[in-house]
Order: sequence, then structure tokens, then C-alpha cells
Amino acid sequence: MPARLQLPQGASCFTFDEARRRRALEARVVSVFEGWGYDEIVPPLFDEAATFDPSLASKLYTFTGREGTTLALRPDFTSLVAKIAAGRLRHVAPPLRLYYSGEVVRYEPPRAGRQSEFHQMGLEFLGGGGPIADIEVIAIAIECLEAVGVTDFVLALGHAGVVTSLLDEAGFKLEDPRRDAALLSLSRRDPSAVADALAGAGGSEVARHALMGLAEDNGIRQSVDEARTVLRDIEPARKALDDLESVTKTLEEAGLRNRVAVDLSESRGLDYYTGLVFRIYGSGLGFDVGGGGRYDRLLGRLGRPMPAIGFMLGLDRLALLVERQGGGESGPAPPSIPVGGESLGRLVQQARELRSRGRKIRFGGGE
Amino acid sequence: MSLTIALSKGRLLTGAEALFTRAGLSFPPQDTRRLIVETGELRFLFVKDMDVPVYVEYGVADAGICGSDVLLETGSDVLAPLDLGYGHCRMVLAAPPASGFAESWPTTLRVATKYAKVARGFFETRGLAPEIVKLQGSVEIAPGLGLADCIVDMVETGRTLRENGLDVVEDIAATSARLVVNRASDHTKRAEVASLLEKLKRG
Repeated sequence: MPARLQLPQGASCFTFDEARRRRALEARVVSVFEGWGYDEIVPPLFDEAATFDPSLASKLYTFTGREGTTLALRPDFTSLVAKIAAGRLRHVAPPLRLYYSGEVVRYEPPRAGRQSEFHQMGLEFLGGGGPIADIEVIAIAIECLEAVGVTDFVLALGHAGVVTSLLDEAGFKLEDPRRDAALLSLSRRDPSAVADALAGAGGSEVARHALMGLAEDNGIRQSVDEARTVLRDIEPARKALDDLESVTKTLEEAGLRNRVAVDLSESRGLDYYTGLVFRIYGSGLGFDVGGGGRYDRLLGRLGRPMPAIGFMLGLDRLALLVERQGGGESGPAPPSIPVGGESLGRLVQQARELRSRGRKIRFGGGE
Repeated sequence: MSLTIALSKGRLLTGAEALFTRAGLSFPPQDTRRLIVETGELRFLFVKDMDVPVYVEYGVADAGICGSDVLLETGSDVLAPLDLGYGHCRMVLAAPPASGFAESWPTTLRVATKYAKVARGFFETRGLAPEIVKLQGSVEIAPGLGLADCIVDMVETGRTLRENGLDVVEDIAATSARLVVNRASDHTKRAEVASLLEKLKRG
């Protein structure tokens, strides 16, 4: 029987130019993280399956540890970083600014430019509360895209507090399956499905109307001012809009307002996010290259309550976007110097000397 | 920067042409054999109906028109901001009159359908995991020939069902033609997408 030479579906492998290009992109992104004073964290490749966010439970690659515990390869970094901050790093006073760059795996078919195994680069600002931390993370995200040569992109900016408070006011209890249906319909911005989900809810007329408005894109979706007029009597929504406005105002002052677009219907991952949420889209690529948001409750659940915000970029999607926008450098392969004739010892010496001056030298011959 | 629209040459095409014409938008001639047609302001792709949301999800097309039945089946991650108000159909479970399925389900069940995911989801809510026979069309003949006990399929008037000796056991979903939009295009081509939506809403 011939040897099976193909890699499993969903596994990633890069070589030569591809690998060089990815490494160069990673270096640029990491240098932005470090430029903002973030420290690297290198979390474990696997942990107990229970560590990871329940929304990823069905996508875990699990295996059994020596003591019979169920372990899983990491499907994301945030839950691991939070756990380490609450445990091993509990003596370190907040704020903790941590970045990571590495592979994650999710048991899902390759889809939309992503294998089951893919590379995430991101950061967590633990102990970072309020608009100051929000601004920092958004500014870093913008800088990362600029640093890799992406010129045409937009951050779609929303606030979990808006949709969450509207769902509460519309009469949906947290465990109500219709709440999930409404949330899913809203994330697809499907007005007829939102209307169906709202049909049984008996809550406030204003909230129901506003949810429909977000799905229909009737003006409140992209305007904080309009939304505030409509939602003035819903206290938590108003507070969320104030938050969002202070962020957009600061971005305006910083000359970055043109990089963000307010989208109050942004509602994916709401069981997790508690404040600002964003996704990053670039021209020429049909799916987001990354995103993030505020998750102020996670650390509390781990016994070390503190606000937190983070974001991540997918390296492979970013590489695709850079390529689509005509960028992407790839260093040349190193020049060869022929081996043979002269004394090999002399050549080694020569090559060492050239390399110490930063040259790349590959021996030729001898294959 | 112009928009690319994915369409399928099926039952929704004539309605799409009427809608685009009313909205003052260009539309490719229906008799063309070309699969990519540019009309100046818009570019159109002709693909299989089940593939419309796939092209849109990947951003190869910025928008598309497909039935909500297709969205239910593919589960594509796209925006569906506009019910286009035509192409109304029902997704139903149908079986021969003597099946008795309206009262109780047999423990082993075979379902023929083009909509495997929808069928599986429907039976899941009833605690059943039937054998699904995935067919590409002419699903109505399957029960009569003994290939399956019942079918999950689209019904417009119910005539095809009746003529093939089937009754509707249960409605699963009401469907209609939808405009779907790529998530990234919604932001990166904001002005064009907003203008398309606005025109189609008015039309």
C-alpha cells in the first residue's frame, strides 16, 4: 500500500514564500503590540476542556489526560489568558497588558479563508476600564492594519449594552430561547425574522420598535444621536450610547474617526461581551479579519474581578487581505556561495564572517 | 466601485427582473447564455440557487437574491436585510394520506428531501433522528416508490403534491425571495449597498 501523504483536512502548513510572508506580517503586528507597551504571554497549547468558553465547546479537539481529565487543544486565547491572569499572575497588580501570537484549532470545516488550524495574534488589556482603554485597543487595531500596509479598511463599532438592554426591555428573559432567536435574527439583520421573534414578547413598545429599526437599518443603526433620541427612556441603552459617543469623539480628535463606522446592530457573541464590540473589514475580502470587545464579567467569574478588553487578528485572513490590496513583501531567498574547490574550512569561516554582518548565505553544491 | 449580484435562473428570476426594473436598476436579458453579465452599473453572476448565499458569504458577490428556504438549508453567514415580497412558498412535511404521521411517528423513518439540514432540524425538535435520503429533485415520487416514508419539500400551490398522492402533514416554514448581502461589503461598500437597498425598498 502506498504511504498516505496528504495532511488531514483543516490542518495548516506553509512553506517558502508563504511562510516568509506570514512571518514578516506577524513581526510587524507584534512590533505594534510591543510599541504600545504590551508584554508577551505564551500560554499552553492545551488545558482542561472546561477552561474554554462554552460557545466553543462543540468545536474542541479533546483528548484524555493521564489522570483521566478531559483536555482540549486551545480554540482561542482569551479564556486561557484570563485564567492565567486570575491564577498564576494574581500577585501582579493590574493593569496587565498581554499579547499573544500562535495557533488555535477548532473542529469546524475549513471555511471562509480559515482552516481548522489557524493563527491568531491579539492582546488583552486586563484591568483596563472605561473609554480610555477602549480607545487604546481601537487605536492599536488601526495601527496594526496600517503597519502591514492595509490602506482600505473599516472598524464596525457597536456596543453590547445597546442590544442587550433592548432585548431585556422587549421582554425576553435571559434563558428564553426566543431571546436567542431574536439575537440571531438581528445579527443577520433580517427584519422579518426579528418580527417573528418579537411576536410573542410583551415588553416595551419602544424597545421592540428599536430592534426592528436596527434590523431595517432605518437610521438609528448608524447614528448615535438618532439612537439616543429614540432610546432616551431606556437607561442602560442611553449609558451605552454615551460610552460609544465618548469613544467616537476621542477618535475624531485623534484623526481616526474615518477608520470606524458605528453599527449598533453588531450583536454577535453577546453572551460574552459587555461593552464596546468591533469587527474589522477590509476592501477586497468578504469576511472580517479580526475583532474584539469589552468583557468585564469574565475575570469576576474566575475570582479576580476587573474590567477587560481585547482584540485579535487572524494571520491568514490578514495575509489574504494584504495580498488583495496589492501589498505583501517577501524577502528573497538567500544567495548561494558554491562549495568545493577551496578548503571547506575557509568557506565556513568566510560565511560566518558574512553572516555576522547581516548577510544571508546558503552553501551551494553538496546536494 | 460597482456591486456584483448573484442570481439563479430559477423560479425567482422573473420576479427579480420586475423588481429591478421598477427600482430603476439595470438587469441582464433573460435569454443570455453568459454566466457573468455586466450592465455598466452592476455585475451579475448566474449560479445555482443553493450557491447564491455561498458566493455572497465569500464576498465573490456583494449581494444576491435567493429564497429563504435556501438560507435555512445552507446556514450561510450573510445579512438578509430585505424580504423582497414575492416568490412566496411553504416548506412542508408531506406523506401519503394513510401514513397517520399527524398523530404519531414510527420509530424508524426515512425522509426524502433536497433540504437535509432543514429536515434534520425539524425532526430534532420532535426528538427523532430519521434517515435522510438526499435527492436533487422530483422528491414527490419517493414515497410512492418506497424510497421514503415522507418528504420535506417546497410547495407553491400544492398541486404537485396532490397529483403524486401526498398530503401536507405539517408546515415547517413560510418562505419568500430575499436579498442577501455580504457582511464586509455592507461596510466596505457602504454607499453602494445602501443605495441598492433604498432603491429596492422603494421599487
